[in-house]
Amino acid sequence: MSVVKAKRQNPHFRLDLYEPEADLMVLNFGPQHPSTHGVFRMQLHLDGEKIVKAVPDLGYLHRGVEKLCERLTYVQITPIVDKNDYVSPMHNEQAINMAFEKLLGIEVPRRARYLRTIFAELQRMASHLLWLGTFALDLGGAIGGGASVFLHCFRERELILDLFEEVTGARFHYNTHTIGGNRHDITPGWAQSVKSALAVIESRIPEYESITLSNGIFFERTKGIGVLDGELALELGITGPILRASGVDHDLRRDAPYHAYDEIEVKVASAEGGDCWARSVVRLAELRESLRIVRALVDAVPEGPICGYKPIKLVGQVKIPSGQVYSAMESSRGELGTYVIAGGGEGNVSPYRLKIRPPSFHALSALPYLLPGHMVADAVVILGSLDPIMGEVDR
Amino acid sequence: MAIEDNRSFTHPLYDFMLTVPGLSLATGRVDQLLTWGLTNSLWIFPMATSCCGIEFMATAASRVDIDRMGSIVRGTPRQADVMVVAGTITVKMAPRVKKLWDLMPEPKWCLAMGSCAISGDFYRDLYPTVPGIDTFLPVDVYVPGCPPNPEALMAGMLRLQEKVRLQREGKWAPKESRPETAKMIMPALRRINDPARDPSVDKAQLDSAMKVAGSEPLEEAPTPERMPPRSAEPVPIDGDLQALLTAHGVTEIPRDAPPLVPVARHRDLAEQLKKRGFRQLVTVVATHYPDKRDKAGLILTPEYYEVAYALRTVGRGSQLVMWRVRFEVPDGIDSLYGVFAGADWQEREQFDLIGVRFAGHPDLRRILLPHDYAGFPLRRDHASDAPCAPWR
Ligand code: SF4
Repeated sequence: MSVVKAKRQNPHFRLDLYEPEADLMVLNFGPQHPSTHGVFRMQLHLDGEKIVKAVPDLGYLHRGVEKLCERLTYVQITPIVDKNDYVSPMHNEQAINMAFEKLLGIEVPRRARYLRTIFAELQRMASHLLWLGTFALDLGGAIGGGASVFLHCFRERELILDLFEEVTGARFHYNTHTIGGNRHDITPGWAQSVKSALAVIESRIPEYESITLSNGIFFERTKGIGVLDGELALELGITGPILRASGVDHDLRRDAPYHAYDEIEVKVASAEGGDCWARSVVRLAELRESLRIVRALVDAVPEGPICGYKPIKLVGQVKIPSGQVYSAMESSRGELGTYVIAGGGEGNVSPYRLKIRPPSFHALSALPYLLPGHMVADAVVILGSLDPIMGEVDR
Repeated sequence: MAIEDNRSFTHPLYDFMLTVPGLSLATGRVDQLLTWGLTNSLWIFPMATSCCGIEFMATAASRVDIDRMGSIVRGTPRQADVMVVAGTITVKMAPRVKKLWDLMPEPKWCLAMGSCAISGDFYRDLYPTVPGIDTFLPVDVYVPGCPPNPEALMAGMLRLQEKVRLQREGKWAPKESRPETAKMIMPALRRINDPARDPSVDKAQLDSAMKVAGSEPLEEAPTPERMPPRSAEPVPIDGDLQALLTAHGVTEIPRDAPPLVPVARHRDLAEQLKKRGFRQLVTVVATHYPDKRDKAGLILTPEYYEVAYALRTVGRGSQLVMWRVRFEVPDGIDSLYGVFAGADWQEREQFDLIGVRFAGHPDLRRILLPHDYAGFPLRRDHASDAPCAPWR
């Protein structure tokens, strides 16, 4: 395993220094574009088909979540942060509650830690399935009808959403975590439903691989496209599958364990190319790994309470007078961190400042480095391989 | 042609048609055929911005499959009949939505999916959010939920089909009753179907939408003064982090917060830490503390900023190190851009939201908010429900 090395582009390249006689064209990409994964805009400066410079423009979904959190109490924040990374809401809830638990110094019971781990891994599978479906759409009909991969992936994603619905009552935006543990316990037959859903998904992973990874056109369009230098990725704060695809073996589940990850071994998938192909390989490997973890844990869930904090009856019940913490976990897209400064609101019931560190924001900051030199058609592939969720980029 | 009180009308042609035997029957049949065709081929233009957009995708995908109602999803407004607004619409997005709506050919309908599109949901009172799209678009069907299930969206499409059918038959389609919750809090802007709505708002919104050409140039970035150097080979941590911090002017290490580093030494500290293996710039968090005054209005503690930085080592046993820098308000802080390329966007974000100036930053512009937004929203003295004309 070696860290990927690539030439570093200058993101602030001055266009007037580009061969003066060249006729540059500006192409506006987004914010309403089916391939922008939400509302994201880029200005591409083109020399013919070749991208000379890319200027991303964010904020079309800036909803002011951090300001809102300053007005709400600790108890009220959980359902709000669900909506940040709306493809993996479970991770958002867990990340925020982990930060509050760290501030309060609360121990989460073992059963709740197991449940959180299972939920997190199921959510990772759902998220990667959604990524695979939309990435195939981005690549277009070339790969045996891009829409069929999309439909296959959503079919399996629904199985996971059903499992969550059984426990929490919601398809997504669950609001199932609380300070000190979980709100909803699993139902008696749930483990069995999980195992049958996993069996279905497992039997279909080879199918995905055969229509994507073993497809010549998929290979041609992703191999060698958007090579991200490992050292640059670190400087940019890129984490998760993108970092691991650049040859950096780093995963918070293994390297700074939380939940029940200290009780189970996580085999971290990584690849060496640093390109769109490597990122796809890593995500598909993670899909298998998550499946293995869930299967190993779902039968081993220990008995006991699911919440280690006194029952919450009032919205202003949790009071934290002072303190600043940063806590992080590995979401589907990388390190999802929360920085909380306590001591806001009437009677210290709200955070003074709450900052969410979204992995996708950092992933997008690689675009000005990745795009120059590629064709316009590759821009969509590179963007898709970064798997950004605009809800958490803009917050 | 007269519209009567019961809202049905007769066209003068009808009298003529009734005099020719069989003609009304034939045209009636053709009309029925056209209506049948129209209601069962309502093509959708998805204005999917956020979470509801994912539920919209699920509706279009395998299990629910909205295609079987003849509603094909099209990526362009030119080929669609229905705009499904799924997700939060912000003041930066609203002119685009308005413009895309204007690009759709008549006849067209609008479906508001989810509480964000209906009323702004819990973001309604916040500075960047439009409190309901019917403050600038005429909405035909509301589908409440956060997010609405795919089945709810299907039901919404069925209601829209019914409405279209009634309209084609010249019957008065009852106005969609708004979900009760949205009635409780009215936004500052009147709804578009409100008789008392001020026409100047319409004009302002239209002007704003027309200004969005879609390719207006972003401001050109200035040239950076320092180019990021190639990073040195990682040095393993030799353990004595505390000595390093003390050498950089840290006097005490508080138990519940990161240590405070003097402004002048902080960039140097970042360079040293990077040499010791903290190669990942995790996050930059700026906070604003307003001044404290006594009863007479004298300033006890002046207004100041705190900026916290976090770095991490990678691999097994990953370590995190954080420090804070505190300085009074008009001052700035040295950017970490030359040390960590990621400081570029992260510091820009904090500048955008809090207003901290980073000296030596190559490209200090707004990143999230519209470039002409006034003020820095995450400062304590900025009202969280600040209006933003003409959208909220
Ligand atoms: S209504 Fe709820 S699910 Fe829909 S966009 Fe708004 S926050 Fe997201």
